[in-house]
Amino acid sequence: MVASDEVMSSTLSVADPGESGRGSSLPDVPRTRRYIHPLLRYILIRIGLGVVLVFGVTLVTFSLTNLVPGDPVQAVLGEQASANPEIVKQFRADMGLDKPPPVQYAIYIGNLLQGNLGVSAQTKTPVASDLAVAFPATVELAVAAIVVSIFIGIGLGMWGALRRGRMTDHVIRIVSLVGISIPTFWLALVVYYVFFFKLHALPGSGRLSPITVPPPNVTGLYTIDSLIAGQWKTAMDALGHLIMPASVLALFTIGLLTRFARSSVLEVLNMDYVRAARAKGLPSRAVVMRYVLRGALVPIITVIGISFGSLLSGAVLTEEVFSWHGIGQYAYNGATHLDLPVVMGVGLIVGVIYILVNLIVDVIYGFIDPRVRNP
Amino acid sequence: MKSNPVGKAASAAAAAIILFVMTGCSGGGGGAASSGDAASVVVETSFDLKTIDPARQFEPTGSMLDHALYESLLTFKGGDVSKPTDGLASFKLSDGDKVMTLTMKDGATFSDGSPVTVDDAVFSLQRVQGIAGNPSFMLKDVKIEKTADKTLTLTSPRPNPALAFILPNPSLGIVNSKVVKENGGTTDKDDKAEAFLNKTSAGSGSYTLSSYDANSQVVLEASPKYHGTAPAKKRVVVRNVAGETQALNIQSGESQVALDLNPDQVKQLDKSAVNVLTEPSTDTVYLMMNQSPAISAWTSNADFNTAVKFGLDYGKILALAGDGAARPGGVVPSEFLGALPTEKGLQFDFAAAKKSLAASGYNGEEVVLSYPNDITLDGLQMQPFAETIQSQLKAVGINLKLAPGPEATELDNYRAGNEQMGLWTWGADYPDPSDYLVYLPGQNLGLRAVWKEGANSEIDSLGAKAVAASGDAARSTAYQDLQIALNERGPFVSLFQPVKNLVTVKSIESAAANPLWLIDIENIK
Repeated sequence: MVASDEVMSSTLSVADPGESGRGSSLPDVPRTRRYIHPLLRYILIRIGLGVVLVFGVTLVTFSLTNLVPGDPVQAVLGEQASANPEIVKQFRADMGLDKPPPVQYAIYIGNLLQGNLGVSAQTKTPVASDLAVAFPATVELAVAAIVVSIFIGIGLGMWGALRRGRMTDHVIRIVSLVGISIPTFWLALVVYYVFFFKLHALPGSGRLSPITVPPPNVTGLYTIDSLIAGQWKTAMDALGHLIMPASVLALFTIGLLTRFARSSVLEVLNMDYVRAARAKGLPSRAVVMRYVLRGALVPIITVIGISFGSLLSGAVLTEEVFSWHGIGQYAYNGATHLDLPVVMGVGLIVGVIYILVNLIVDVIYGFIDPRVRNP
Repeated sequence: MKSNPVGKAASAAAAAIILFVMTGCSGGGGGAASSGDAASVVVETSFDLKTIDPARQFEPTGSMLDHALYESLLTFKGGDVSKPTDGLASFKLSDGDKVMTLTMKDGATFSDGSPVTVDDAVFSLQRVQGIAGNPSFMLKDVKIEKTADKTLTLTSPRPNPALAFILPNPSLGIVNSKVVKENGGTTDKDDKAEAFLNKTSAGSGSYTLSSYDANSQVVLEASPKYHGTAPAKKRVVVRNVAGETQALNIQSGESQVALDLNPDQVKQLDKSAVNVLTEPSTDTVYLMMNQSPAISAWTSNADFNTAVKFGLDYGKILALAGDGAARPGGVVPSEFLGALPTEKGLQFDFAAAKKSLAASGYNGEEVVLSYPNDITLDGLQMQPFAETIQSQLKAVGINLKLAPGPEATELDNYRAGNEQMGLWTWGADYPDPSDYLVYLPGQNLGLRAVWKEGANSEIDSLGAKAVAASGDAARSTAYQDLQIALNERGPFVSLFQPVKNLVTVKSIESAAANPLWLIDIENIK
């Protein structure tokens, strides 16, 4: 209600442009500024800053990769070819490394503006093409993990807060601590060993069973693409393969969200407006869902945003165990082989992810808390 | 607050997750249920794949795939790399092993049905040379000429008996020249056919390429127009999977072949579910000591070198490499012509090590041992071996400082000749002792130890004799003499050959490992 009122009053305060033309006492000051909704203006400013940040990311990534004490050409060439100066020279030229770093950067930015992220020295394919395969794999995993985390993490956190000091609260706190503390790589191996190898309860590694043919590519998300193609069996196969890696990744985020949600809800529970709502005799459900949850959401959304950004940046070890060839594996292989276009491309994507996630989080703040959009 | 809406919400979420799990289980098929059918096979390995353009690839995974997609002029049968046999051609060496004449066989066809001709062979080999990629060194200075409708000659400026062992390499697979030229293929640096060949195969092998993703999976389909006996498996899925996961997958029947299990992982396998073929790899692990006084006054000291060679307990290092590992007497792997028997190689002698160290004038100064710590060789990491060497040499009185680092950065340092001591590996490019001449002064590996040309005239002379030797017996003797001298006076210490394990499920009746192409996919039955 508050948000709607604010928007309405802002809209009504704008004068009719025609009116100023007819009766204004200041005819020499034309009204050229158009009205922009505060939230829209806020988003546009953030997008503008985001573009500047993206270029900052490219500069930092490029500088760091050039500071690494290794020669990308040596990393690509075999033992015998590396001893041939002619071959070394040709590879250096092919990889664009025969030019001074500022020129290399200028060329990279020029190509980037045309959507060209370069060619991977390892896979010999355009980085954009590789990312078009690896990134959807990571998105599919990250979305599954974050959705599960949000429901369970916030649910457990609120439950613990509402039962503060009781056995339920203690158990939830222990569970969240365990979720944060368990090393993901170890957990991934144990989960795979138990649920796949011992119990045969879940399918093995990869995004699909070896004999399953991937669905026609639309989004790159196998679950969605197979549904679009009407391939139900493939969709279920893809869904089954998501469970273990998504659960492993979700456990940490669940632990984190539980802790944040619990402390945030505890803080809100003591607020005057919550007490007032209870005093008015509102049902518990209404108090919790309409007052407590909404009031506690801002810090929780911040954590969700950071966690989702982190998940979208790839999870090298989990991807390794489950043979999930997402952006984490791609970045790791690129970094260990000094594959500069890959490192730059992934750096750029991760930078854009965090900028976008933060933008979305900020916009959500705007919806939840009017003070953000109308400071 | 008797009513607990959050508790109900949590219960609903839990129920939704259980449903999610159940639907996933029923749809995905767990474990053994997803193992495929008799006509297909799933091979799991840790990819080092960069390309499958035969003229450019030079990695084990690429070689395995290209061997199934392309045929070479000569080949090896099964895992025996001691004797090259006819492939697309038969061969004859003449003029003191300088000229090889190859005669194309009749009846061979590419996957599009067109015949394999001598022009295709000439184009393919010249393309390898002209592209100047990783495998081009194998045909360096070799003149390739078509001499008749069915024959071509390969002429080397020096005796080149190794050529018969080089030609089976999958990098020298014969491509359909017409198709490759139509898609940007040339025999010079302007070649643009790689992208095409990474999507479509253009060979005469028993398989064709169905799909290719260098990061995750490659699928091969049996070629309907293959001119030989059709392979037993119609579809082959080669997947990029980490070693730990391979071990679980093969026992569950998720895959049928696993290529990267180390000795510890093999020990833990359920032998009732799998077969294990164990043999020494043709990779070798060696220690290098830099001969430049500017890099290290001690590693360039001959007595210090001798102390290191006597101070290592080779038996214990070999035991650390696991059951099935081997120790060659010199730098040539034990399976190859000219290999030096273990008993003729360097031996542990603590007293001799102490004596040599005293003679060197060394007084406990720190010497740095560098090695890559982010790679595995046949499932083994370098770290335990570096620690063992440090411990053994400490007993002699040598103070080693371990300096592990990522391969990408260490490699640069090593190839530039900047490491004091290095622990590195050498994989066979082709199964002939001439591939190991790189250890000589002024050669590829020699220069990494800053062991320059002319640094040891006796070894130079023995190297020249080995190059000139003709006939198996004479070559074997010449290479053994060379290795004995290298052991005494060279800056390298050959340590061991790791074990290579080929693991298959029981339903696989036969599968042959090969040092050049890991496994012969065509002959998986």
